[in-house]
Amino acid sequence: MPTINGSDVRKVVIACDAGMGSSVMVATTMKKKLKKYDVDVVHTPVNEIPGDSQVVLCHSGLAARAAGIAPNAVIVPFQVFMGDPAFAKVESAIKQGETLES
Amino acid sequence: MAMPDATQNKNLEGGGVRARVQRFGGYLAGMIMPNIGAFIAWGLITALFIPTGWIPNEKMAELVGPMITFLLPLLIGYTGGRMVHGQRGAVIGAIATMGVIVGSEVPMFLGAMLMGPLAAYLLKLLDEAIQDKVPSGFEMLIDNFSLGILGGGLALLGRQVIGPVVQEIVNWLGSGVDTLVENNVLPLASIFVEPAKVLFLNNAINQGVLTPLGAADVTDAGQSILFMVETNPGPGLGILLAYLFFGPRVMRPTVPGALIIHFLGGIHEIYFPYVLMKPRLILAAIAGGMSGLLTATILNAGLVSVPSPGSIFAYLAVTPKGGYFAVLAAITVATLVSFAVASALLGFGRGEKEETDKPVRPEDNVIVGT
Repeated sequence: MPTINGSDVRKVVIACDAGMGSSVMVATTMKKKLKKYDVDVVHTPVNEIPGDSQVVLCHSGLAARAAGIAPNAVIVPFQVFMGDPAFAKVESAIKQGETLES
Repeated sequence: MAMPDATQNKNLEGGGVRARVQRFGGYLAGMIMPNIGAFIAWGLITALFIPTGWIPNEKMAELVGPMITFLLPLLIGYTGGRMVHGQRGAVIGAIATMGVIVGSEVPMFLGAMLMGPLAAYLLKLLDEAIQDKVPSGFEMLIDNFSLGILGGGLALLGRQVIGPVVQEIVNWLGSGVDTLVENNVLPLASIFVEPAKVLFLNNAINQGVLTPLGAADVTDAGQSILFMVETNPGPGLGILLAYLFFGPRVMRPTVPGALIIHFLGGIHEIYFPYVLMKPRLILAAIAGGMSGLLTATILNAGLVSVPSPGSIFAYLAVTPKGGYFAVLAAITVATLVSFAVASALLGFGRGEKEETDKPVRPEDNVIVGT
């Protein structure tokens, strides 16, 4: 199971089906949150998640595809697009240097 | 697919089919979505300058035909090729698409979605087969001529064989859709469109299937109801409003923001989790979708291009002159019906106490593979 320490995270990938709608919206909010930790946030279609991604945030309905495309990345699924605990979990892991796992 | 790990297992049970359908649909939608801007440019020019448009202008209207016949299918074939084999795939995808466009009586969206990736895949196989055999210094010569010869051949094949076949299929699909609309049974489409939508097949259905069919429909009728099948923001709006008034109290504060993003911003994904949390609400989405389509059918509503994202602003921008009442009626009826059914399913806020604690993990209850 892929794991990563929050302090090693340099880039967070937000994925959605088309990479043009909801992922962009989530990426905008995460960018603001993670800017101060010098972590880059990008959005992408789930089919095009880069193979070397460290952490991928996507809706739980797409998690299976994300895990298939980036098997080495930590996949953090979320349920709702605003205020999901998964967003806070990623932020605090990066801030505190905690371990993140799929 | 990689094997799911233990923590994800529960989420993935039965999800294999859905993931596969999503991925295939994702490829279809992936050819269309980056080009939506071109569809909109074409839709706006059409709505403005055709004889029945806002400011009819013969000279400007000359753009309409070539854009839908050549520009849009070529962009799709190009993008489809790029997805398979990068820049070389994109170029050969466009060349091969040209073969099915020329001589066709219908806009070749389906043909482009077939020829683009197919040509790129064949070029990829060819490139892989000869890459180790190319003598140093001859790379550019061989690269250019392998692409040119294969692409030219595929264009000829498209012109001669594939184009006519695809045209038959498109005509057949088109008359199938006409039959559905004429017999007022198009609303039944909502029975599978709405559940599929909240399973994140929304782009696959709309951009992958309905947009190409709708664009072909527009060239005949000047507008198409097919653009309204998946994109109507009404059903989702009704469900969000029901949540606002009658949903679990812990969820209510999140709804106003979601309402704005859904209805004004057009990102429908925002309401899917609210349905997935209480899967019975899918009935509200279906009822809303069906009543909206029935209204649209009766009032002869249609749009000139695809409203993407499905925002009210996008809707207004692609509504044909004189079509505002019908289009807005379809959205309003869908919203009201969806709101009424969703409110009833939420028990009008009664008995929500037992359910408030923790939202059910949606995947546990969702019926997959619809």
